[in-house]
Amino acid sequence: MSAQLQTAGRQGGGTLIEVENLQTHFTTPRGVVRAVDGVTFSLERGKALGVVGESGSGKTVLSRTIMGLVPRRGTHLGGAVRFEGQDILGRAPKDMRGVWGKEMAMIFQDPMTSLNPLMKIGRQIEEPLRNHLGMGRDDARATAKRLLTDVRIPEAERRLDQYPHELSGGMRQRVMIAIAMACGPTMLFADEPTTALDVTVQAQILDLINEQRRDRNMSVILVTHDLGVVAGHTDEIAVMYGGKLVEKAPTRRLFAAMKMPYTEALLQSIPKLDEPSHTRLATIPGRPPDLVNPPAGCRFAPRCPYAREKCLNEEPPLEQTSDDASHSFACWYPVGSPEYLDKRAEIDAQKVSVA
Amino acid sequence: MRYALTRIARFVLVFVIVTFLVMLVTRIGSKDPIRDLAGGTVGDAQMDKVRDDFPYVKACSGTFEYIPCVAKQYVFWAKDMVTGNMGVSYLKSQTVFEMFQERAPSTFFLGFWAIIIGLIIAVPIGVYSAYKRDGWLDRILSLGSYVSISMPQLVLAVLLLYGVASRFEFFPNRTNYIAPWENPVEHFKNFFLPSLTLGLGLGAVWSRLLRADMILTLQSDFINLARAKGVKPGRVLWVHALRSSVLSLITSVALQMSGLVSGAVVAEQFFGVPGLGFRLVEAVQTNDILAIQAITAVIVAVVVIVNVGVDLLYSVIDPRIRQMRAMG
Amino acid sequence: MAGTGKAHLRDTDDIILRVEDLVMEFPVGRTGLKVNAVSGISFDVRRGETLGLVGESGCGKSTTGKAIMQLPRPTSGSVLFEGVELTTLQGQEMREARTRMQMIFQDPISSLNPRRKVRDIVREPLVIWKRGTTADQLGKVDALLEEVGIDPARAAESQPHQFSGGQCQRISIARSLVLDPTLIICDEPVSALDVSVQAQVLNLLEDLKTKHGLTLIFVAHDLAVVKNISDRVAVMYLGKMCEVAPSDVLFQAPAHHYTAVLKDSIPVPDPEIAVAQVAIEGEPPSPVLPPAGCRFHPRCPAADERCSSEEPQLREIGDGHFVACHHPLVGGEAPVTVRSATDA
Repeated sequence: MSAQLQTAGRQGGGTLIEVENLQTHFTTPRGVVRAVDGVTFSLERGKALGVVGESGSGKTVLSRTIMGLVPRRGTHLGGAVRFEGQDILGRAPKDMRGVWGKEMAMIFQDPMTSLNPLMKIGRQIEEPLRNHLGMGRDDARATAKRLLTDVRIPEAERRLDQYPHELSGGMRQRVMIAIAMACGPTMLFADEPTTALDVTVQAQILDLINEQRRDRNMSVILVTHDLGVVAGHTDEIAVMYGGKLVEKAPTRRLFAAMKMPYTEALLQSIPKLDEPSHTRLATIPGRPPDLVNPPAGCRFAPRCPYAREKCLNEEPPLEQTSDDASHSFACWYPVGSPEYLDKRAEIDAQKVSVA
Repeated sequence: MRYALTRIARFVLVFVIVTFLVMLVTRIGSKDPIRDLAGGTVGDAQMDKVRDDFPYVKACSGTFEYIPCVAKQYVFWAKDMVTGNMGVSYLKSQTVFEMFQERAPSTFFLGFWAIIIGLIIAVPIGVYSAYKRDGWLDRILSLGSYVSISMPQLVLAVLLLYGVASRFEFFPNRTNYIAPWENPVEHFKNFFLPSLTLGLGLGAVWSRLLRADMILTLQSDFINLARAKGVKPGRVLWVHALRSSVLSLITSVALQMSGLVSGAVVAEQFFGVPGLGFRLVEAVQTNDILAIQAITAVIVAVVVIVNVGVDLLYSVIDPRIRQMRAMG
Repeated sequence: MAGTGKAHLRDTDDIILRVEDLVMEFPVGRTGLKVNAVSGISFDVRRGETLGLVGESGCGKSTTGKAIMQLPRPTSGSVLFEGVELTTLQGQEMREARTRMQMIFQDPISSLNPRRKVRDIVREPLVIWKRGTTADQLGKVDALLEEVGIDPARAAESQPHQFSGGQCQRISIARSLVLDPTLIICDEPVSALDVSVQAQVLNLLEDLKTKHGLTLIFVAHDLAVVKNISDRVAVMYLGKMCEVAPSDVLFQAPAHHYTAVLKDSIPVPDPEIAVAQVAIEGEPPSPVLPPAGCRFHPRCPAADERCSSEEPQLREIGDGHFVACHHPLVGGEAPVTVRSATDA
């Protein structure tokens, strides 16, 4: 399999990508939108990072900025993105073309609109092959067919000559993955890859991405609003809120010992199958912050039931936990702290008195 | 297939309705159609000859008999048209068929070059302005196209005639028909200005249409994906984006066909192009009813055929339309 | 699975809606083929109950919701609402009946007229039906807006696009309540919303249901959401009913293989729970040419000869738990082997 050929020499660990104090600010008629506002993290080869947040948290802009796909005009970029040691932030598109599709690939949310409706599936897969690997027509077609087989699309040969509208949503997302895998990238961005799909198909697609990651020792950044999706399919999770990273930890650690009240609230607001029906869901009051005029202090403070005076005035830094260097969070009174527990007791007492 | 047939049937219907209306109004405008046919003041012998040639032509009157009477004549006329006998222009001592042989090529090239000039203007400007939206060149081009759109063809014709043709020997003041395969340079000299008169406005309108569609297309996910695949910007623009954005442009080409015809009448008058538009005006002035009918019939037929063609072109461009039509 | 039958219909006098043998077909162009969107399903809803309809896209759950509203009229079958047969109702009578049942849609923003003020949108049904004086109407509208958590003063001045998706869904809910309906059909009302907003809207629906004595039909693809809000859940596959059971029972012990597959496919927000191997391969076949027998048989791990020829009927296997399957699971045990529709 040539997938193995392509990944040869890319085995092993080591840091693939380092993002440092990344800022993406858009100039709009309303003012400057601080969509990503000082995000720092790094990702090792072959690992999967889940970026979780609500709409407007900046998670999609983050992945597109790293890849260099945000519009350049009216955009202020700050900080650094080091990919295989080289700073690629703000590089001109002509300098990124060798990276796009070859080193970094992206899967978009909606498989219905992400494929060119007027172009046959085969040609859409062949494009990066001919572009980056200089393959001829026949080679590219044969490789495209093999890629379709790799992502388990039946009757690959026939599919090559079909148009996107002739395939189901799940099949189209498989085609998207085949396109992304075409040149054996080292880095895959998957932006809500399963949000538009049915649950059974979602499970298949997530598995497929995982399988490709393992086979190719590829790193994955999985952007999603669904903590359920990242729980089973990532090594690490970064939680974003209001353009900032508010908590980051290895997946198991995060779920076992989350520190940020926002992460906790996000998890609690998901209805769970093991709870009896009509269980009252925990909610987060209010709305996400306005990124033109973000609140002073902690951006979550206005919605946080545990917030105190300090939270509204001083911005908490993203710091490591005392017991685990891989777990960091940005909160003055994290889950489990005495102040948190005090407030919690207060809230519980109120609930009882109301009832 | 079924789709194509129903389309063609519908366009035949349109053709019949329009040509019948033309016949109806020319008959209303003519008290003595035989005399008009014969070319006005002629002797009895000539009148008898015309009556012999076109036994079905007669004056219609009466409130209720009027339409059936014209309809009967329409059937004869249509039969003649189908069998290739389009009639005679006695005034010009020429059969209508000969008239077409003489006049149609000029009008054809005028319209053809107008569309080509329109597209040559529209496609690069539309694509570029969408790509560099709100850049300084886009702003200038936008202003330019608004000026061209707002300028009546009459004004443009005057500008070109007085500003260009009369100043530069290169362009003749009156257009003569020279086939491009006989002498391409002379053909260009003769047809450039009148075609430009028609084509500039078309190009301006089309460039705005294409720009708007391209802007929408360039924001779509599949364009982002094409970029994320590392496809070269030229290919993203000209292969991925342009093809998805041309449907409105093509529709407009079809819709503009009738506008093009009226524009051709203006341009032919101004530049003295020996075409059908020119001849149509003459025919109206002299009540040459068979010529009027034949010319309008051909114009309607061309417009209708172009529309059918464009409609079929949709299927070629968009496989989804193709599939929908295949399912009926 | 994917069978027919009416064993699960109840015979109590508080049944507010009874749907029998509902069929909904749409022609495919002029090919003479048809989409079998809903193929003979029956169910009932008690007053004050919430019925969840779940299934994947193309299973006919949304079509069923709309068919109850007679939008469009079903191809055949009966819809008995508050004792009135809706499928034969005409003109004014139909319009009156529609005021007693309302629908909430998935996309809250596009289901509200973008050019009107929010307060007028909510009030509009009252104006159309000439209910009360202007003062009465405005009083009612403002009270409802407050109830769903929208500031009436802001609603009087703003258009839908000035509100967030969650707020627009609250506005749609207020509008649906303004004529005091008894039945609300919610068609994927929270699937376009963020989880935190989704929780708010689900809680709101529960509160309003109690306060206004509503009966809900909740159509959704997310099993956890459906379980949370429903008393009883019906699982659909390719236009047929697979399983009907009280919400807690259904998810504790799914009897239909398809229900089990759906349950196993949900990503659980807990990394300690090992990710189940993909529960099923492939995707549902086309509803244009659905499989014979049990419609799920080509993808079912337990399918045999009989399943491909004989359509299973819904039968009771526990208290209020009905399943249409020849080989139902016992105790919710998950399927062991997996087969793909395309391998078959």
